Amino acid sequence: MKIVCLLKFTPDVDAFEYDYENNVLIRENIKQIINLDDACALGYALNLKKKHPEIEIEVVTMGPLSVKGLMEDVLRRRVDRGTILSDPVFAGSDTLATSLILGEYLKRTEYDVILTGTQTLDGDTAHVPSQLAGYLGIGQMSAIMKIDEASFLEGAPLVEVDTENHTDTYKIAFPAILSVRRESRYRLPFVRYADLEMDVSDRLHIIDNSVLQVDENIIGTHGSATKVVKTYMQTYERKDRVVVQNDDEGIETVYNFLKENGYLK
Amino acid sequence: MKKCLIFLEKEYEKFCVDLLKTAEEIYGDAYESCALSFDADTEPAEGRFDELITVTDERVQTYDVSVLSGIIGELHQEQQFDSILILATHFGRMLAPSLAMELGTGLVADITKIGHHKDQIEMIRPAFSGKILAGIINTRDNAVMMSVRPGVFLYEDVKEKDTRIWEYSPKEVRSPKIEHVSRREKPKSRDIRESEVLVSGGGGILDDFDMLDGLAERLGGMKSASRRVVDSGKADRSIQVGQSGKIVHPRLYMAIGICGVLQHIAGLNRVEHLIAVNTNKNAPICSLADIVVEGDARTFVEKMIKRIDSGN
Repeated sequence: MKIVCLLKFTPDVDAFEYDYENNVLIRENIKQIINLDDACALGYALNLKKKHPEIEIEVVTMGPLSVKGLMEDVLRRRVDRGTILSDPVFAGSDTLATSLILGEYLKRTEYDVILTGTQTLDGDTAHVPSQLAGYLGIGQMSAIMKIDEASFLEGAPLVEVDTENHTDTYKIAFPAILSVRRESRYRLPFVRYADLEMDVSDRLHIIDNSVLQVDENIIGTHGSATKVVKTYMQTYERKDRVVVQNDDEGIETVYNFLKENGYLK
Repeated sequence: MKKCLIFLEKEYEKFCVDLLKTAEEIYGDAYESCALSFDADTEPAEGRFDELITVTDERVQTYDVSVLSGIIGELHQEQQFDSILILATHFGRMLAPSLAMELGTGLVADITKIGHHKDQIEMIRPAFSGKILAGIINTRDNAVMMSVRPGVFLYEDVKEKDTRIWEYSPKEVRSPKIEHVSRREKPKSRDIRESEVLVSGGGGILDDFDMLDGLAERLGGMKSASRRVVDSGKADRSIQVGQSGKIVHPRLYMAIGICGVLQHIAGLNRVEHLIAVNTNKNAPICSLADIVVEGDARTFVEKMIKRIDSGN
């Protein structure tokens, strides 16, 4: 069985600071991490491989060549092959264009199933898995909390999905894209101490658009179907606030406010 | 006349009708609204849309987005919609991208505002956990697609319409790629989006989160939580407020021990009154408050409950 894990390296968004003086988002010196949902997907695959060493795992990502070091760390976790789709013409692609690029690579690759995360920390759209499934013409499910192992090994996994009002179980025959959520708590194993310096260069492949031949007019900053034309600072209306202490007087102020506005019957 | 399609999702009909507000912000009054239902309750849409299109073909497996995308793609060929709006639920978040790929058009997720850029629709959404807003246009000569979280737009100024209802019979129905095996209902609880009063707890009351029940009950409201509380496992995701939780619009929001990072504040839509309790009176949430109580969250809740119980 061959599993492809789709991974995105994202900035640790919560570490961003906003420079209110100059109205810019400070994005420097923010470390890149494996997108949390994606790490769970790879964690599931690696844990399965531990029990079934015959399973082959390829990790595929799209991004600048600067992710090479992070990808090598991924390969040291006993991943069989790592592929970085990287080309200056890919930069600035929106989700649709990204799906086309990933899709072109995957059409050339053999796989039984694709495991990935549901959404990313930075974009937060959850578009790519569903767009990619549409492109490849295969089944897909997002927000997976649990993948049943026995049925997975048989090629038609039962997956559990948690939505607002229900918990649903679906059966999705391979080939398919299964997108897990970080709440699934599938853990990415650590790199073993002995493997920390392992040379993985023979397993790392970099593929550019001379191989994929995606029409450059429909990808990247200029060709994408959506385009950012403006950015705004999020503004909120400030109120004339009253500051009180947690003493009798303060409690009385809140009590009267609740009463005057009809919150206490 | 511009034509806007709104997907009517089962169990979320009311929120889907709210998307008429989004359409109005795009086109004003000069447009034709169409609702599309496969298995939804169509009653909330009747008298609200110009057209209501139903697809009741028994061959359609409504839980498979690839099946629906095929049918909507075929319908679009015939109807040539100018825009397609989809509610960003679990299902809508799969359907919208699947359909965007089907049509080869751009899609913007979770928009919170509509703007206009030259002659084009500018879709505005939070980026980087709500730290900035990005205005985005569709560059394709095709339907403009967007998804909208429930509760972000509220359709209140209702215009009565004489809805034309008609059935669409798809020529081709794809066979499903996934199979629905079983469903467990979650215990039904009230939706925090429907509560007039929310008593919301954050990191400052993490260890005594359940205390908020007493205060919420006395105010006839519900308890809600910040992401911090949900991530720690003390509260269910269904009561989480914020960009990654629910968008709420109560009359009164009491933020107890919540510092109010942007991703939390992004969950508050038109709150009339806000009371913030925090040990730091300069926490971000405090700048939005009518009253800031500077102090310990637990002590405040205890004292407040006592004061309410003692009456006048």
